[in-house]
Amino acid sequence: MEVQPDLASGEVKHLQRCINDLIGLLALPAIWSGGDPSQVLHTLLDALMRMLRLDLASVSLTDPVGESPVEIVRIAEQRGPMPPAHEICEALSQCFKNDSRKWPPPLRNLMGEGDVSIVPLSLGLHGELGVIVAAAERADFPRQTEALLLSAAANQASIGLQEARLLSYQRRVASELDQQVVQRTAELATTNEELMKEVAERRLVEERLRQEERELKRSEVRKAAIVDSALDCIVTIDHEGCITEFNPAAEHTFGYRRDEVLGKHLADSIISPSLREKHRQGFARYLATGEVRVLGKRIEMTAVRADGREFPVELAITRIPWDGPPSFTGYLRDITERKRAEQELQRSEAFLAEAQHLSRIGSFSWRVATDEITWSEQLYRIFRIDRNAQVTFELIGTRIHPEDLSIFQEHIERSRRDGSDVQLEFRLRMPDGAVKYVHVVAHTRGDYGELEYIGAVQDVTERRCSEEALSKARSELSHVARVTSLGVLTASIAHEVNQPLSGIVTNASTCLRMLAADPPNVDGARETARRTIRDGNRASEVITRLRALYGKKEPTIESVDLNEAIREVIALSLSELQRNRVILRPELADDLPPVAGDRVQLQQVVLNLLRNASDAMSTIDDRPRDLLIRTELDDNDRVRLSVTDVGVGFEPQAADGLFEAFYTTKDEGMGIGLSVSRSIIERHHGRLWAKPNNGPGVTFSFSIPCKPEGLTSDGTRASRLPSGADAA
Amino acid sequence: MELRQERRVAERPLVSVVDDDESVRESLPDLLGEFGFAARTFLSAEEFLASDRVDQTRCLILDIALPGMSGPDLQRELKRRGQEIPIIFITASTDQTVRPRLLEQGAIECLFKPFSDTALLEALSAALRADERSAL
Repeated sequence: MEVQPDLASGEVKHLQRCINDLIGLLALPAIWSGGDPSQVLHTLLDALMRMLRLDLASVSLTDPVGESPVEIVRIAEQRGPMPPAHEICEALSQCFKNDSRKWPPPLRNLMGEGDVSIVPLSLGLHGELGVIVAAAERADFPRQTEALLLSAAANQASIGLQEARLLSYQRRVASELDQQVVQRTAELATTNEELMKEVAERRLVEERLRQEERELKRSEVRKAAIVDSALDCIVTIDHEGCITEFNPAAEHTFGYRRDEVLGKHLADSIISPSLREKHRQGFARYLATGEVRVLGKRIEMTAVRADGREFPVELAITRIPWDGPPSFTGYLRDITERKRAEQELQRSEAFLAEAQHLSRIGSFSWRVATDEITWSEQLYRIFRIDRNAQVTFELIGTRIHPEDLSIFQEHIERSRRDGSDVQLEFRLRMPDGAVKYVHVVAHTRGDYGELEYIGAVQDVTERRCSEEALSKARSELSHVARVTSLGVLTASIAHEVNQPLSGIVTNASTCLRMLAADPPNVDGARETARRTIRDGNRASEVITRLRALYGKKEPTIESVDLNEAIREVIALSLSELQRNRVILRPELADDLPPVAGDRVQLQQVVLNLLRNASDAMSTIDDRPRDLLIRTELDDNDRVRLSVTDVGVGFEPQAADGLFEAFYTTKDEGMGIGLSVSRSIIERHHGRLWAKPNNGPGVTFSFSIPCKPEGLTSDGTRASRLPSGADAA
Repeated sequence: MELRQERRVAERPLVSVVDDDESVRESLPDLLGEFGFAARTFLSAEEFLASDRVDQTRCLILDIALPGMSGPDLQRELKRRGQEIPIIFITASTDQTVRPRLLEQGAIECLFKPFSDTALLEALSAALRADERSAL
């Protein structure tokens, strides 16, 4: 510089300032270090404005690194309010679009009068970073030094920006790296956490497995204990039919030891030889098709013991639920006892049913509290009610004869009240109108706190019908007996009638003779006439008795004075007895109460007994033919009659046969007397029996109840017949 | 007439009646009285035998069926004793077969009750004739 001493001192100063400014600019990057591009540009623009006394400086950055475009404008302070920065940049960019080689183009001053000199400075080697614009109103702008400063500033800015960009990039990369590290770390943490969780879960699972294993072991032990202590035989087989388990009960039942049969084929051990083929087929079918027909059912079959003895078993087969090859468990039970019990029960039931059928007896039970009624099959048959019908009293009521329904219901109600025994006979009426007689006997069973009746119902229709028929036959038989007796007795009856007739004739003859005498014997005639009348009455009396004894009529129940009735029989039989030289001794008790019965029938019995006694003594000549007829009241308030003879008697063993129809020891007898007599007495609710005497002969007796209190005694009319003495 | 009456009364032959039937015992004596006989009645054969009238009895009217000793029994008993009293049997029986048997054994007659007064009278006449014959 000293070589050019001609340079003005102003110039020197200017140059000095320029150098200072240049140094200042060159120092800028040190300030910028670490700053961001906008900071670089701000400080740059501020420095240019101050160094070059610019009126305007702006910068526009393109492609800022990761940031929005930057546009900064500085305007000299004294210039007043500044237009918006983007308007300025717009205007600037308009002028740059023109020919950028014509620099510095004059521009219209946006902020005042006149033109403005503008210097654009590219940033970056090819202006790729942006552009800085410096503008001044001075006409000399830019001077050479100023251009130098501007270009140096642009270079410095480019470097600063590059560095800032690099820094920014590095920061960004570092930030990204950091972020990646953070993210990765987070990911690792998550993974770690998951791993921890998994480990924990795995532990839990392991613990559970161990627990399960323990339980499984316990369960195994328990199962083994159950299997070992089971009363049923438990036999398991594998999918080939070989035995894999054989419990103690099976050992006991089949007589094999466990170790003997394990691994053996089922068909070769416990299956009955007769079933082995079937078993093999079934197993083959299973192996081929997987079909098992016997699963899940209880079946009965024959098994065989080690000793070859066969016996019935109940068998249930289940498939063991297992993943591996299928195996099966068979539960077997020896049902020999049960079978026998079943057979016995069946037999017994069949027996009972048959017995009920044959005897026409049905049985029932009745739970009083619930009215639950159970019938045997036969009872349904008797009532002709469908076997499946629910038995109720209402249903039963539909079968009971309407006339007997109230009696039936009364009995039911009484039983319901006091649980007393039931004995009842009533009629049923079938839908077709047929009538059945049934006899019911029932009593309570106190086993179970509640009242329950157990009873039997017998269909007695046939018996009732045959009873009626028998009664009729007896009545006819008794008539035959009477007629027979009539034949035998004709002589004595005639005798009986002829006696008074003889008196009548004789008296009448005498009477006539007395009246015909001279003088007539009137008093004598009167006496004979009176005797005639008396004998006439006597004859009439005999006829009346005969009519009563031999007329066939239905039995009538009346109050009968047995003594009176016996006296009449004696009166009728006396002459015959006398002819047979029988000495009759009546011992009739005083005050004998009346009995209820059929007078004539009872007289027939007495007559029969007297005749039998007389006949039994017809060959006796070594002792008086004593015949005792006695009446008395016995200890049971029954009237008893006995006829004791001293005749030939009978062998003790013949006592039972005496009363059978047609039993007779007499040559001319018909043998129906005693049988008919007995049936008559039984119909009077009495009893007729015979007993050999201590001495010779037999005593025949009957006893019948006294007349019940309730019976009206309209029978007294017939119990007193007019006697000869009364009429006389 | 008077005399005859007296004589008849005095000499009235005794007819004994043995019958257990009251009607007969009451009615016959009056009729026998009308016929001119004296009459005594007995309830049984035993009673008759025990009485003192057996020797005086010119005719015995005897019932066949009697309690205890029967009519034929009495007949046999009298024959055994040698007391031949003419006997007229009477009976209430209708059995006609007894009559010839009894006549065979020496009875004068066998009358079936009820019999007429004339039949009895005839029998009595026959009895007395027989009695006279045996007395001669």
